[in-house]
Amino acid sequence: MITITLNGEQRDIHDGSTVDDILGIIGAEKQRVAVVVNENIVYPEKRSSMKLRDNDQVEVLSFAEGG
Amino acid sequence: MNELQIGSYTFSSRLILGTGKFGSVQAMLDAIRASGTELVTVALRRFNPEEAGRDLFAALSTIEGLTLMPNTSGASNAREAVKAAHISRELSGSPFIKVEIHPNPQHLMPDPIETYEASRTLASEGFLVMPYISADPVLAKRLEDAGCASVMPLGSAIGSGQGLATAEMTRIIIRESSIPVIVDAGLRSPSEACAAMEMGCEAVLVNSAIAVAENPAEMAAAFADAVKAGYKARAAGIMPKSGSAVATSPLTSFLGKTS
Repeated sequence: MITITLNGEQRDIHDGSTVDDILGIIGAEKQRVAVVVNENIVYPEKRSSMKLRDNDQVEVLSFAEGG
Repeated sequence: MNELQIGSYTFSSRLILGTGKFGSVQAMLDAIRASGTELVTVALRRFNPEEAGRDLFAALSTIEGLTLMPNTSGASNAREAVKAAHISRELSGSPFIKVEIHPNPQHLMPDPIETYEASRTLASEGFLVMPYISADPVLAKRLEDAGCASVMPLGSAIGSGQGLATAEMTRIIIRESSIPVIVDAGLRSPSEACAAMEMGCEAVLVNSAIAVAENPAEMAAAFADAVKAGYKARAAGIMPKSGSAVATSPLTSFLGKTS
């Protein structure tokens, strides 16, 4: 297991988990979301191959209502 | 020209809608449709697994011809705003960005220095930058020179409904600007939107006044009519004010005369 910070909260995940795996775990796989890992945007075409590492800072963002 | 031109984009509606504060997604969609707007703001937030079924992007995609203008709300400085803009562009596929940096939640007044820095950076990167600013003519001109696509001075504080409290400063901004001036924030009623358009604004951005109305869709339609009326009146040429009465009927006395 490795530990990442996902949207500000620590989370243990299986070693070798990809960005897509994480999106599946939180139910975001079908939505249009932006993913930022360690301050870098991860584009959709990279999400199935990019493996997360211990201590990665992961942000999953989407649009919400706002003025 | 009846269309609103921002950068290379043209819009037939001069009403821009904010999507916050609506009672439901459906109420928001109904209001957008009733307004005829083609440009709406959205905000960037952390994905919430508890609201996984609430997909705003998908909901807005059901309205044809809608362009998204993400805002940088939540950013407290230029660095955060630039970061939010990059992420938002990845999500929206739109070059529009409303630069909104208000570090104090008590009054939500925009930080002019951070707003300028973020706007300059993003304009140089090719964004169509729409900065939300205080009605400061000097700042507005600096932002224009920095390559912004528009400037959006506040009418009054966000969500306050205090109307066009900044009218005199906004008039100066309009007179000096060669990019569209869009009043953003504080408008409460359609008559105020009409007044902003009569003054020479190219568009208005409205959120709270529509979202918290008893009937948001009807209010959206009313704002749309008011914006059209104000623009049309401005184009038609509004008569100058006079310091004294000017008769509209002949005053030649004849009823008291006898032949």
